[in-house]
Amino acid sequence: MSSELLSSGALERRLAEADATIAALLSGQIDAVIDPRTSTPLLLSAAQSALRESEERYRHIVETTHEGIWTLDADTVVTFVNQRLADLMGYAPDEMVGQSVFEFFPEFFSAPGAPGVPHLQRGHAEEEAVAVSRRDGSKMWALIKTRPICDTNGKYVGILAMMTDWTRHRDAEEALRRNEEQYRQIVETTTDGIVKVDASACIVFTNRRFAEMLGYEPNDIIGMHISEFSSEDAPPGAPAALLSHRPGEKNAFDTSYRRCDGTLVSVNIASVGLFDEGGLCCGSLAVVRDVTNQRRLQSQLMVSDRMASVGTLAAGVAHEINNPLTALIGNLEYINECMASTAGDLKDVYATGRSMRATIPEPLQDAIEAAQRIRFIVHDLKMFSRAPVDVKGSAVDVIAIMESSLRMAWNEIRHRAQLVKEFSPVAFVDASEARLGQVFLNLIMNAAQAIPEGHADENHIRVGIEQTGARVTIAVHDTGAGIPPENIGRVFDAFFTTKAVGIGTGLGLAICHRIVTDIGGELTVESLEGRGTTFCVSLPASECLALDAPTGVALRGGTGRRGRVLIVDDEEILLRLLSRSLASDHDVVALSSGKDALALCAKGERFDMILCDLMMPEMTGMDLCSELARVAPEQADRMVFMTGGAFTARARAFLDASEHPCVEKPFERATVLAILERHILRSPSGDGPA
Amino acid sequence: MVTARRAEPRLHLRLYIAGNAPNSLLAVANAKSLCEEHFAERHVLEIVDLLEQPLRALADAIIVTPTLLKLAPLPAYRVIGNLNDRKQVLLTLSTNDE
Ligand SMILES: Nc1ncnc2c1ncn2[C@@H]1O[C@H](COP(=O)(O)OP(=O)(O)O)[C@@H](O)[C@H]1O
Ligand SMILES: [Mg+2]
Repeated sequence: MSSELLSSGALERRLAEADATIAALLSGQIDAVIDPRTSTPLLLSAAQSALRESEERYRHIVETTHEGIWTLDADTVVTFVNQRLADLMGYAPDEMVGQSVFEFFPEFFSAPGAPGVPHLQRGHAEEEAVAVSRRDGSKMWALIKTRPICDTNGKYVGILAMMTDWTRHRDAEEALRRNEEQYRQIVETTTDGIVKVDASACIVFTNRRFAEMLGYEPNDIIGMHISEFSSEDAPPGAPAALLSHRPGEKNAFDTSYRRCDGTLVSVNIASVGLFDEGGLCCGSLAVVRDVTNQRRLQSQLMVSDRMASVGTLAAGVAHEINNPLTALIGNLEYINECMASTAGDLKDVYATGRSMRATIPEPLQDAIEAAQRIRFIVHDLKMFSRAPVDVKGSAVDVIAIMESSLRMAWNEIRHRAQLVKEFSPVAFVDASEARLGQVFLNLIMNAAQAIPEGHADENHIRVGIEQTGARVTIAVHDTGAGIPPENIGRVFDAFFTTKAVGIGTGLGLAICHRIVTDIGGELTVESLEGRGTTFCVSLPASECLALDAPTGVALRGGTGRRGRVLIVDDEEILLRLLSRSLASDHDVVALSSGKDALALCAKGERFDMILCDLMMPEMTGMDLCSELARVAPEQADRMVFMTGGAFTARARAFLDASEHPCVEKPFERATVLAILERHILRSPSGDGPA
Repeated sequence: MVTARRAEPRLHLRLYIAGNAPNSLLAVANAKSLCEEHFAERHVLEIVDLLEQPLRALADAIIVTPTLLKLAPLPAYRVIGNLNDRKQVLLTLSTNDE
């Protein structure tokens, strides 16, 4: 259709075909002309097939083309024009035939620099887009193609010319240019990075923003390979993801890139594959969004949510500690009194018929139990307040974490509901203790908060843990208010809360959801309004079977040999306790400063084990270790660290990298003895180190 | 039929002619021998006689005979005339995008 805007390639081809048709006609190669209306072939006689004799037929053909066609004789007088050309120029065909061509196309044939007739006479074809004037004076952009006509002897006899209305193409080109300009502006002003890579993932185009994001100049970044920005933190396969497209498919993924200056930038990428006409991938186009701040905010929110829970719970926890603490102190005082009176007046004891043996064991047992309970609570608190560096997952025990979480929330639960625990033995899961605890605590707190206070006997919170196949599921069920259907789709949205300001932040479930999905799990909810709610966490079971069994085994087969132990701790009570408990089986030297310990070893003293506090004010355990490595390397190897659980970043890095055993306070005597036995075994036999 | 290798796509041609008219006969002969010589195992040559099947001219918008259409591989092309300029014809048939 002539009104259809042809691509310039297609137009080009059609002009060439029309050209070829006429050339074939002129050289007598055509047998038949098809009438386009009836599709009947009109046979040309041999004589007719030459141009001159078949002018009617010839006209018929040329009239069916969409291009204007005309011929000139050797004197540049117009000898033929088709209707299309006459229409384009605004004349009748008769008005043009017999006139000099310069009347109509001065621009093409005689403008300075125009190809002109002599050129054609030498047998060259020409093609040019020019502005021509119509009869009414209006201008038109036209594409004119000309070729010389030669007779059978090769003598130049005139010109065959074709003309196409180029105006719309010019307009289209102009529009295209404006469009491109507009796109360019969008690409350059958008706050997202835009990058195009070729099939080998080398950058072929970027906007300024993408270059800025990575700290480069736009020109310098072209040609770089996308893997040059990859960081170790990026999920494996991220660079490949940029190129693994199927036609029509979009990829969206998160990764991080390393900037020019070495810092990391978290990005969210949406990409589409680019394909050539043969369907082969020839690269991809990606929109890259800097989400560093968003990520930072997210992890801050996670911490503040945790802090909020710990804050809410602080009162309850203080209460939890106060009970056993009262028992502990009371019992110890009682024992102390008994001992004092016993020492002062043995007779008195006998007189009242009470013996020390009879009086002390029970309060002592109670004191130990109370202390154990405090130890658990402190362990729980430590778990929830651990800094976010502890996000590395390892195989963890879901039941132990749930127990901790329930102890933490006990004060919230007990006035509202009975707690029912249905735990079956389950596999470990790969997660961070602190984060999983945060999830459980949130679910338990929500369950508790859904139940009004004061009817604990009518309500219950049921916590079930079980394993089905390769998944561990944790269900937290409550008989609380339930969630109305219109809200159930929104409970996982950040900041969605139905609770009063100061009680609800609306962050809990949003964060739980993120934590759970991050480790490949699912968090789902079912609720009946007025009846209760069940939240269900389903986690993939870890492939690790169990952690190392606690080291206590070596003790039973103890070597019976006395070892030499150096204990270094700035806390005097601990120092005295350790000396006391180890002295019966080993030779103990106790020092309260790292400097003294170093001096001792430098003088040549040797120990089977150096049990040393990690964090000490003057010289830390780490410093002592590195100093020892210089003056007495063999002694540095024998260091065992003790920690109270508050790690600096440096301490954590140190422990991660070192081979030294580390025991967490509070620890049991057996643990230390077991390590000591191993160290003694390593010493040359005989009487231990010189 | 042996499976064609990807590197050598099959050439698909359609030649429109008008019965025994001289240029048509020439075109048929030229097309056949060109194909035999240069695209031996890998071509399909369909010959359409418009005197017998005039309506087929509509499908491909044929206005004169002989017209040779190159249908595959792309780009499509049409060659008008008796195909005597064999070098030019061969060049046209050999251009392909793949
Ligand atoms: N066990 C539950 N029973 C009833 N409603 C719940 C329960 N858990 C969560 N919800 C609803 O989901 C909302 C969002 O919970 P969450 O994200 O933990 O924020 P918050 O507890 O700070 O409000 C709550 O405000 C409450 O309306
Ligand atoms: Mg909550």
